[in-house]
Amino acid sequence: MMNENITSPSGETPSMGVDNRKLGIWTLLGSEAVFFSALITTYLVNRDKSVVGPFPHEALDIPLTAFNTFVLICSSLTMVTALAAIQQGDQRGVRRWLIATAALGLVFLGGQATEFTMLANMGLSLGHNLFGATFFTLTGFHGTHVLVGVIWITYVIIRAYQGGVTKTNHLAVELAGLYWHFVDLVWIIIFTVVYLI
Amino acid sequence: METPKEVEKRSHPNYVGVFIILGVLTLIEIGVTYLPLPRIPVLVPLAILKAALVALYYMHLKFDRRVFTALFAMGLIMGVGLLISLVIIFAPPALDLK
Repeated sequence: MMNENITSPSGETPSMGVDNRKLGIWTLLGSEAVFFSALITTYLVNRDKSVVGPFPHEALDIPLTAFNTFVLICSSLTMVTALAAIQQGDQRGVRRWLIATAALGLVFLGGQATEFTMLANMGLSLGHNLFGATFFTLTGFHGTHVLVGVIWITYVIIRAYQGGVTKTNHLAVELAGLYWHFVDLVWIIIFTVVYLI
Repeated sequence: METPKEVEKRSHPNYVGVFIILGVLTLIEIGVTYLPLPRIPVLVPLAILKAALVALYYMHLKFDRRVFTALFAMGLIMGVGLLISLVIIFAPPALDLK
């Protein structure tokens, strides 16, 4: 069983025996699963219904997105390695791997910006056709979640440099990691559904 | 009875191994798009498998309290249910469900 550090900030023992902050994050992730399911569903049911182009098969760039997918999977590895490091009390390791995770997140966002620019140059936009509306809404929200994740991880990095992350107190790393892995998980689904199928 | 070291080892899966599997599965997915194979029956299970690996091992659902799995599963069930029902109702022509 994981070392969950279940004492709440007020010192009370949570009634379910798990930290309320971790319970809260998983509740958030459950709601985010519904949110992204709705966006993916909207994309799917409207995919072949655009009246004018560009259409998905002529607009989407698989090689660039495949690289982006690889970057995000790498970032999940660095994130979980950061958690494993602090669980062993490795302060330098957790900082190093968190920085790597944030850097990979920024690379992903750069890839998304590149792709969005390419699509915009083709004339695709939110208001252009159904494909543009559903595609940019879905990937735009996902990209925003990645940006929030990068900011979150940066905050944890700052806390780590201030000595606020230790072997016995590293919930901050774990919670940020859960959010980050979820963002990667959503992209795995998006990559398959939007780009490959 | 497990020693503390065995418990610690069990709750720390081989993260690099999972990463390699994820990479291989991604390459297989991309490869399928270049082959004359039906995409949905092959790609959807592969994507679900990759997502499950991330959830079970990187998010530690396999080794953690079941309440976390329950919370996440509730969202997944609602989301997947929404997806399946709306795709059936408003099926895009490409799926040829109607």
